Amino acid sequence: MGYTTGRRPWSSDPPTPAGDEARAVRNKIFYFGLLVVVVFGVLSLQLARMQLVNGEKYRLRAETNRLRQVPVMPARGLIYDRDGVPLVENRPAFAAAVVAADVPDGQEVDISLALQDLIGRPASEIEAIIRERKDSNDPFTPQVVKENLSNEAAFRLREQLAALPGVRVVVKPVRVYHESVLMSHILGFVGPIDAEEYERLKDSGYQYDDRLGKAGVEYTYESLLRGVAGARAVETDASGRELRVLGETPAVPGMSVVLSIDVDLQRRVEELVKAGMGKSLNAAAVVIDVHTGEILAMVSIPNYDSNIFSGEVDQAALEKLSSDPAKPMLNHAISEMYPPGSTFKQITGTAALQEGVANAGTMINSPGYLDVEDEYVPGKFHRFKDWRSDLGTMNFYRGLAMSSDVYFYYLAGGYVRDGKRVFEGLGPSRLADWARRFGLGEATGVDLPGESEGLVPDPAWKEQSVGEPWLLGDTYNFGIGQGYVAATPLQMVLVSAAIANGGDVLIPTVVKELRTAEGQSVPLKRQTVKRNLNLDPRNLAIMREAMRQAVADGSAFTAQVRNVTVAGKTGTAEFGERRPDGTYKEHGWFTGFAPFNNPEVAVAVFMEQGNGAGTAAPVAARILDYYFNQLKVAKGGTLP
Amino acid sequence: MISWRDPRPFDFVLLAAAVALTAYGLVLIYSGTLNTSGSSLAEVVRGPVGRQMAFALVGVALCLVISRFDYRFLAQGSAGLYIGLIGALLFVLTIGAQEYGSRRWIEIGDTRVQPSEIGKVIVILALAKYLSDNSERVKDLRVFFTSFAIALVPALLVFAEPDLGSASIFILIWLGMVIMAGADMRHVLGAIGMFVALAPFALIIVVTDYQRERVSVFLDPARDALGTGFNILQAEISVGSGGLWGKGLTHGTQTQLDYLRTQTTDYVFSVLGEELGFVGAMALFALFIVLLFRGLRAAAISQDIFGRMLAVGIVIFILFQAFINIGVNIRLFPVTGIPLPFISQGGSSLITVFIAVGLLESVIVRHRQVTL
Repeated sequence: MGYTTGRRPWSSDPPTPAGDEARAVRNKIFYFGLLVVVVFGVLSLQLARMQLVNGEKYRLRAETNRLRQVPVMPARGLIYDRDGVPLVENRPAFAAAVVAADVPDGQEVDISLALQDLIGRPASEIEAIIRERKDSNDPFTPQVVKENLSNEAAFRLREQLAALPGVRVVVKPVRVYHESVLMSHILGFVGPIDAEEYERLKDSGYQYDDRLGKAGVEYTYESLLRGVAGARAVETDASGRELRVLGETPAVPGMSVVLSIDVDLQRRVEELVKAGMGKSLNAAAVVIDVHTGEILAMVSIPNYDSNIFSGEVDQAALEKLSSDPAKPMLNHAISEMYPPGSTFKQITGTAALQEGVANAGTMINSPGYLDVEDEYVPGKFHRFKDWRSDLGTMNFYRGLAMSSDVYFYYLAGGYVRDGKRVFEGLGPSRLADWARRFGLGEATGVDLPGESEGLVPDPAWKEQSVGEPWLLGDTYNFGIGQGYVAATPLQMVLVSAAIANGGDVLIPTVVKELRTAEGQSVPLKRQTVKRNLNLDPRNLAIMREAMRQAVADGSAFTAQVRNVTVAGKTGTAEFGERRPDGTYKEHGWFTGFAPFNNPEVAVAVFMEQGNGAGTAAPVAARILDYYFNQLKVAKGGTLP
Repeated sequence: MISWRDPRPFDFVLLAAAVALTAYGLVLIYSGTLNTSGSSLAEVVRGPVGRQMAFALVGVALCLVISRFDYRFLAQGSAGLYIGLIGALLFVLTIGAQEYGSRRWIEIGDTRVQPSEIGKVIVILALAKYLSDNSERVKDLRVFFTSFAIALVPALLVFAEPDLGSASIFILIWLGMVIMAGADMRHVLGAIGMFVALAPFALIIVVTDYQRERVSVFLDPARDALGTGFNILQAEISVGSGGLWGKGLTHGTQTQLDYLRTQTTDYVFSVLGEELGFVGAMALFALFIVLLFRGLRAAAISQDIFGRMLAVGIVIFILFQAFINIGVNIRLFPVTGIPLPFISQGGSSLITVFIAVGLLESVIVRHRQVTL
């Protein structure tokens, strides 16, 4: 026992004495052993009670164990126009559903064939669904195989249910849109969830046979409109009948969306655009509140019918829509970009004033064209035409009002005559910079899917995308909204709105507010202004006055409206291939705002293969006439 | 002379029982994950079974290394380990990973370490060290309270996670070890009396809503038939329907149709109960009893107090983890989230119990060296 005399690191204890204490230790260890036996004894007793005594009872419960969690789907939120006119309803409809677990093995084919006769869906598809659900880890949730059954079909099916184990008739609401054509591009539609979406969303309570927003507001506001699914724990018997509900988490109905769109205005805008578009393949118009960015009307022609996507999709109608060269499924107000033509002079003009390139008194003479010496071949001249040859010498107001191309060639690219720079222009970089500041070349951030960003060219872009150096002619074309620059009608209406409201580039919206299922208003938290252009108020005043003159006494005179002073700019943009006679196809534009003194709304009208003053501006005038002289009056306002 | 060369007989029965339990667990995890992981060999190896097997190999390796190692060296390091543990638990509480409403894990890459598991062994070491150093004065109230504090601090920290189950394990380990150390039985009974008297107050004041909810759901599962109550009911049906022989491995309707949740961790015993029945459960109990008795034997043959304390602590630890986990499955206790040692899927738990077995082996291997 010598090791006890020295302290050693591993020996922390004195030796255990023999005798009484050793016996005490042995006793204690005996009791711990007893504890082990007792613990497992207790467990064994309880286990014997459950498995041996009550085993039969539990076995029966396991066999009939149909304790299921049934999802409780929330009611989807509704959509209203700005005055509370409902634009959609959830209409109850019958649907045929299958509970895969209850379809007896071996009978999948028979039942699918029987269903095919009753509901008209191919048996192979039904069978595939049954087999897939059987193999999944949730074969109990009823899986809809055919929606929107007619009452007769539902009745016939219900009569046959006894012979079709696993088949159910369930009630599944169908989205039915009012104004389903007029509002199609804004409302969008809901459609069946696809495999990829289901994988992504199943943890958020989406079901295998769920529907979700696929376009328009239905898509953008999906998470709010949908609500939150609840669940119900039910015990069912072998045939799937619910015996008792053990607990329920109620579903939270979705929020309703109140659009900023005024349906009356929208309807009138559509009528006017359709009437005024002539042979144009497409046309679009946007009316926007210049202070809030709320879109009051947004029309894209042609449109489609949102209701063809409700219930079972009408395949023939869908085929027709997707093969139509006018692309009716596309919202031409936001999803397609076009050369803005002379409406772009709003940007060139503002930029020239702000950068000190021009002022109200800048006088430029237009002999009807501008000859520019080739940058590489001396002595060779390129002629850039004005749209008229009799414009003469103009100040800034007149230059914009008459939409002189030569005037804006000077502002954009300057002019060199006989090797001497007679006018210093903006140059492509500053012009591109201003175009971007006005919101071109980027999404406006509107709450609708599928927005095009448009295109703002600059020398670096051309070098990279076209593979050619930037020429002076590119700057000239850029300055009058031709060449590479392209924008959506929505982007262009925001340009006029920014000039109207003092320089705020707005973030537009089609939704004014939200509403709870109980009808309480919930303000929509959103950013109204993307950026302020920091424009000198004197320059703004010059721009506005020039746009007023364009309508009062200039190229946009067809936009005049009684009782209201309109300020605006037309555009007739060449596009496509040059025709043999040297002309091009043209798009027609008008963008502007009213009233001049106290701007309320901005409007853009775009007509594919139209003409600015000829087709677009008159439609804009009729829209503004309706808005100020009828709609506002009808809503209790006074004549302007 | 102390012989370092000739280690005493390694307890192969102990290790065999541990390995057999682990293998049993692998079989149950295989069955429990069949419809989520697939059944081909490649899928099994890549899935939870393969992962658990890898943990088991690490565990056995650690066990063998530790058994070659003199456990008394660990006595010296126990204070440091203890401080590290408290730090880790504080870390978990503040920035640990959260799941099912509690913070119990530290995330390292994509693995999650649950420090309260290895913490139980560290507290056993710390208590063994303290109680053996103070074995002379173990009847002093001061020593009694100090030892209690050693267990109480980590217990409170895991309680706050909240992990009521692990907190009780810490207290039970302490209780077992002070009794073994020879504490005054009046003190021990006083402490037990105090726990019993304080329990109702604790339930009202200290225990969080989450834990109270678990207790009330335990009393009436239909109350929360969608959540925890669903699991309790389904576990009960699973075990009960297993009967004497069970429905056969991989043939349990409850297990295979996903009625059981967390069927490889908290409710792994229900898989056993359903598929292998009462007989399968008795086999499991037999393995546990063999393992625990070999642990007690280690305590009995250990000639130093530290080794004896260590062995008893480990036996209590494994015994009560098993008791509480199985008890939850058969509706003796409310849901706590204590893993079933050797069986439940999870690396922290498995490696910890193998370290514990390694310590037992270390005590056994060296028992003669002290007596010379």
